[in-house]
Amino acid sequence: MAPRLNPLTTLTAAAAVLVITTAAASWVVSLTVAAGAVLLAGVTGAARRVFLAAGVILAPFWLSLLVMHGLFFPEGRSVLASWGPARVTTEGLGFAVDMGLRTSAFVLVLLLFSFSVRVPELVAALATLRLPPQFGYVLASTLMLAPIIAARLEKVRQAQESRGLVVGKGVGNRLGAVRLQMVPLVLGLVHDAGIRAQALDARGFRRTGPRTTYTQVRDSPAQRGFRIVAVLLAAAAVAVRIAASLSRGQA
Amino acid sequence: MNGQVSAAVTLRAAIESFAFHGDARPALRDVEIVAAPGSLIAVLGGSGSGKSTLGRLLGGWLAGGRDGKLKGRLELESVGQQEAWRPLVFFGADSDPQIDPAAWAEQVGYVPQDPAAMLSAVRATVEEELAFGLENRGMERAEMVRIVAETARRTGLASLLERDPATLSGGELRRLAVGCAIVADPAVLILDEPLASLDADGTRTLTELVAAELARGTAVVVLSQSADLLTRLAEPWLVLEDGAATAAGPPDRILAGEELASSGVVVSEPSGAPSGQVQQFAQAQSRARPAKDSVPALELDRVSFGFGTEYLGRPLLLENVVLDVWPGEIVAVTGPNGAGKSTLLRLFNGLLSPLRGEVRIGGEAIAGVPTGVIAQRLGLLFQHPHDQLFERTVLREVFFGLDRRFGASAPVRAAEALASVGLSAAGNVHPHELSGSGQRLLALATVLAREPEVLALDEPTVALDAHGLRRLSDAMTAAAGRGAAVVLVTHDLAFARAHAHRLVELRNGVLAAGD
Repeated sequence: MAPRLNPLTTLTAAAAVLVITTAAASWVVSLTVAAGAVLLAGVTGAARRVFLAAGVILAPFWLSLLVMHGLFFPEGRSVLASWGPARVTTEGLGFAVDMGLRTSAFVLVLLLFSFSVRVPELVAALATLRLPPQFGYVLASTLMLAPIIAARLEKVRQAQESRGLVVGKGVGNRLGAVRLQMVPLVLGLVHDAGIRAQALDARGFRRTGPRTTYTQVRDSPAQRGFRIVAVLLAAAAVAVRIAASLSRGQA
Repeated sequence: MNGQVSAAVTLRAAIESFAFHGDARPALRDVEIVAAPGSLIAVLGGSGSGKSTLGRLLGGWLAGGRDGKLKGRLELESVGQQEAWRPLVFFGADSDPQIDPAAWAEQVGYVPQDPAAMLSAVRATVEEELAFGLENRGMERAEMVRIVAETARRTGLASLLERDPATLSGGELRRLAVGCAIVADPAVLILDEPLASLDADGTRTLTELVAAELARGTAVVVLSQSADLLTRLAEPWLVLEDGAATAAGPPDRILAGEELASSGVVVSEPSGAPSGQVQQFAQAQSRARPAKDSVPALELDRVSFGFGTEYLGRPLLLENVVLDVWPGEIVAVTGPNGAGKSTLLRLFNGLLSPLRGEVRIGGEAIAGVPTGVIAQRLGLLFQHPHDQLFERTVLREVFFGLDRRFGASAPVRAAEALASVGLSAAGNVHPHELSGSGQRLLALATVLAREPEVLALDEPTVALDAHGLRRLSDAMTAAAGRGAAVVLVTHDLAFARAHAHRLVELRNGVLAAGD
């Protein structure tokens, strides 16, 4: 499904959804967006990668939110339980859940976008907007950085396991393995980057003249229309939010 | 590729000396080369001879000042050009000229020894990778499409245009790297070890491509540690040893001289078989096959495997593969590029798991056993040393994991393994600073140090010079002699026939007895 859409359409949709989610500042909206992202991830076949990456990012975040705001929320009035200075309050838990859901929506939408977009198509689409080509390349290399790091890490892991490293199931074992892998990973990446820089130079990456794109990106009047509507909706959401804040301030 | 005839450009290089920053000893000294339109020059040299350094200098990938101290002259000379290029003269000073790599690459295409180094890493398919250099030049799309299709045809990549470059086999990757260099239609082409990892079809494709380039008037420089089918078409030959030219002239004269033998260059018979190995071939054939013990050292029992077969419905890469390798036996696996030979080896130690069938080592199934545990019994030499080496020094590299396995005797074993591949003196060197041959031998040492029951070697001959081949040969023979089973994947049929008790061929997913 995703590859048929112009990357600008999915980018605009993702950005508009995030702006509207922020403007709405409602856990119901955040939950709906997060659920929608999960559903779409399932449909596009990116579910496994999205969930894995989201888990790595969100699990510690949720934990810290619940500890920080669930136990220590100065504005909390409805105390559910308390242990010394730590108090579990309804308001604290509500704040933690609200923030957690909003961040989850952000992370899931952005991960879904980055895992489903074809980066060369996105670069090609951005070029049609007359953005500087370097912008497209920085974006492309940023989006491709995670897969490159993952590939390099996998190679280091395979090399080490082939020489007798056994990664046990415990947390300690895994942390030990991570410690062994980090230095080779970073050094390998730096080495690769140095070599790649020479290849990119020779292949004209740093040229200042005009560039063209080989990848053709599909677009349609309907998609262009959708993008305009999405931008207008996002702008409207922000306007409503500001108006609401102002009227609340006057009242 | 924009026209039928290449712009007539001569590359003249006179390298007085080039030393990497921090090195007192120059990596190159007193090397002169003239690559004229339509001529093929071979620069031959063994490991550490400086030929890759020369290639990178000629290709504009190494720059005087930025990467080291260069004294000498680089000059491109064009016939019929209105404004002549000025020669670039280097004195090893700050005021030396700077080469614009992109402008240089328009005239001089360079393909490095490691083809993966050529890739942009921001392109998702082979065709997009091929087009990358053309996009940067601002070429019209219709013209790009034509050139990409033509390049794919000439490099034998036409059926792989939609593939992700990261999933290509070693030989396919090399053809892609060559394609990336020739799309820009350079007048001079520098190829570092262009036939490494190529199967027979790939070798033919590349040889034809070089012939076509020569016919179009391109000047071609081939850097190689082997006097093989391609370099035998070249004249003159330039022999490098220890950074300096020791011989130059027509191949016949150099073949009759002594410089080639001492340089470590592998000399093949015109048929392609390395001359020194013909006799060994007879020995290998007559060598008694090891007695079959009760249990094979390695067994593949109807093993099937495919990437994405389970979830995406892609076809199987390996189907019902059966292979028994006995203690003391050397088996060579051959087959075309992309047949799944490297994948096969990764099934041996559990880095990949079969979809069906069973892999057994010493009669015990390895299903569910961690790779790190299997590593006690099976040592795997990866196809690309770059993927195998991850430590900061050569000694640390060999030592990794040995202490867990051998305890107090680990340092001695590490030292012995390094000595067996001739790297004793390089213990404190960073593995990336070794030559291609040195990196391969170091990777081999990491496998040998563990004295596994089964050695699985993926393209072990690639990048090895004659000295390195001898060390590999000795190591394999010694391992088989102590009762280890050896499986090597290779395109070097001469080496395989000279050393293996039997050859098997992997083709279309099926493993069959080879010739």
